[in-house]
Amino acid sequence: MKIVVLLKEVPDPNAVRYDPRLGDLVPGIQRVANEYDLYALEAALRLREQVGGEVIVASVGTARDALNRALAMGADRAVNLEGDGLPGDAWTTARALVAWLQREQPDVIWCGQETSDSGTGNVGPAVAAQLDLPLVSNVVGWEFRDGVFEIEREIEDGHQFQEVAPPVVLCALSALPQPRLPTLRGIMDARRKPVEHLTAADLGLSDEALQPLVQWEGLSQPVAKAAGVVVQDVPPDEAVERLLTFLESRGLLG
Amino acid sequence: MQSSGILVFVETSGGAARATSLELFGAAGAVQNALGPVTALVVGHGIAPAVEQVATLGAERVLVVDDPHCAHPVAAVMARVVLTAWDVVQPALTLLPSTTLGRDVAALVAARHGVPHFADIVSLDVTAEQFLATRPVYQSKLLTTVRASRARPAVATIRAGTYRAPEPSGQQARVEDLTVAFSPADQRARMTRMVEKPRGQVDLENAPVVVVGGRGVGGPEAFAQLAQLTELLGGALGCTRAVSDLGWRPHAEQIGQTGKQVRPRLYLGVGVSGAVQHTVGMQGSETIVVINRDPNAPLVKMADFALIADWNEVVPRLIARLRERRGR
Repeated sequence: MKIVVLLKEVPDPNAVRYDPRLGDLVPGIQRVANEYDLYALEAALRLREQVGGEVIVASVGTARDALNRALAMGADRAVNLEGDGLPGDAWTTARALVAWLQREQPDVIWCGQETSDSGTGNVGPAVAAQLDLPLVSNVVGWEFRDGVFEIEREIEDGHQFQEVAPPVVLCALSALPQPRLPTLRGIMDARRKPVEHLTAADLGLSDEALQPLVQWEGLSQPVAKAAGVVVQDVPPDEAVERLLTFLESRGLLG
Repeated sequence: MQSSGILVFVETSGGAARATSLELFGAAGAVQNALGPVTALVVGHGIAPAVEQVATLGAERVLVVDDPHCAHPVAAVMARVVLTAWDVVQPALTLLPSTTLGRDVAALVAARHGVPHFADIVSLDVTAEQFLATRPVYQSKLLTTVRASRARPAVATIRAGTYRAPEPSGQQARVEDLTVAFSPADQRARMTRMVEKPRGQVDLENAPVVVVGGRGVGGPEAFAQLAQLTELLGGALGCTRAVSDLGWRPHAEQIGQTGKQVRPRLYLGVGVSGAVQHTVGMQGSETIVVINRDPNAPLVKMADFALIADWNEVVPRLIARLRERRGR
């Protein structure tokens, strides 16, 4: 089975800080693989362990470290789509991926539900729509038996199970099994694994095809709240009364 | 045909319109001067109550797809419904709720038409030339504005709680059935079963009150009391990642970066320190109350009301006092 994992490199979400003078993130934040994407990769590796085949990780835009990590975790090869016009917006990214995926014709495309940076969650569905593949999102569990996936999804009303046969696009949440850590052996092996670099031109995409649909403005900070009430060193009974008075004053006790 | 007007996708659950779908009419009302009349698309099976409710919310026309195919949320099926309505209405803007289904369908429909999807937005403006949407990025730590030309139609999903559902007006919309032809391709992924949440349990993401237990509560047994408190406040119970990683509570209750995003009227955190991983999932809450022993916990700094105390000493009292007030 040919399994593709779409992986994005993002600023480390635990290190993201805003610089109000720049109107942007502070410079130099370490870049890491998007967390949900690593859960997708773990699922892909387990699927390969079950049915055999190949796991290919693909990324649009700068992603050297993230792709190396994926190879060290056990992916067989990596593809980096980069150069002028890439990654662009979600539409551009999806167009580039689709052009490449049409060559590879994978059976399963795994991706994270959304990224921790822009977080539109658009790329997976856009790839599915353009390749005319079924989409199953918010995946928290799966089994593959007799050529069919049974997928468990976490949605508003509970857990929904869907059946779908490959080819399919699956979007992973972090309730799936934890991504494995790269072993020393894995890191050594990764150095010998192929990483292919492709530009839009290599994929036969014109500048026009890669025109983004949206423009992003700078970043801003949500308005901070005023400091609140702190009740400390007060006997529990009185503390509870003060809390009830506060809740009542805000109309929160129904 | 020139695109104009607004198409509003009304997601239903068990025959009723979801609250987040009704809020879309608030958003549509705010931009209909620029874009033209509102058409509602009500989708599901056995949805007469939802249709009746939607017909008074300011739409000129209500398209109804009441079909057994649409009884459950399946992305491709619902995308076919929206694409069919799109052909009928030719909307300049299509609005969907920012639910798991709404996000999938919006992205699929936008990609089919090669138009932008403004995902999970918290404000929307329309000028003569442009759509401008504000949306949270970096896990809601920051905001950005996204622009797109009005030369193309656009699709937007709107975050719960952003707009208020309008009061019912005296005007009654024209109601029409819409027939949708589903192809085998629309049904490649099909629902086999659903494990519903236990009855009476309030949906975390839509709950007006969310009570959250963190690692500071000491162990899984503490959640029995938090559940009582949650019930008395009419809310839903959540937890932090530390708690679900320790196996004290299921992942479905986890709030934060890798869990759910909540914006309740009241957030009550018990023994929650407030790691960034958690706060990105709750910082939109209207009122934040914290019970924690540590006055230096980051969540105390975010709180509207912080009670610095051992939860064991205050939560049982709080439960008893709330019971008294409710007369039970």
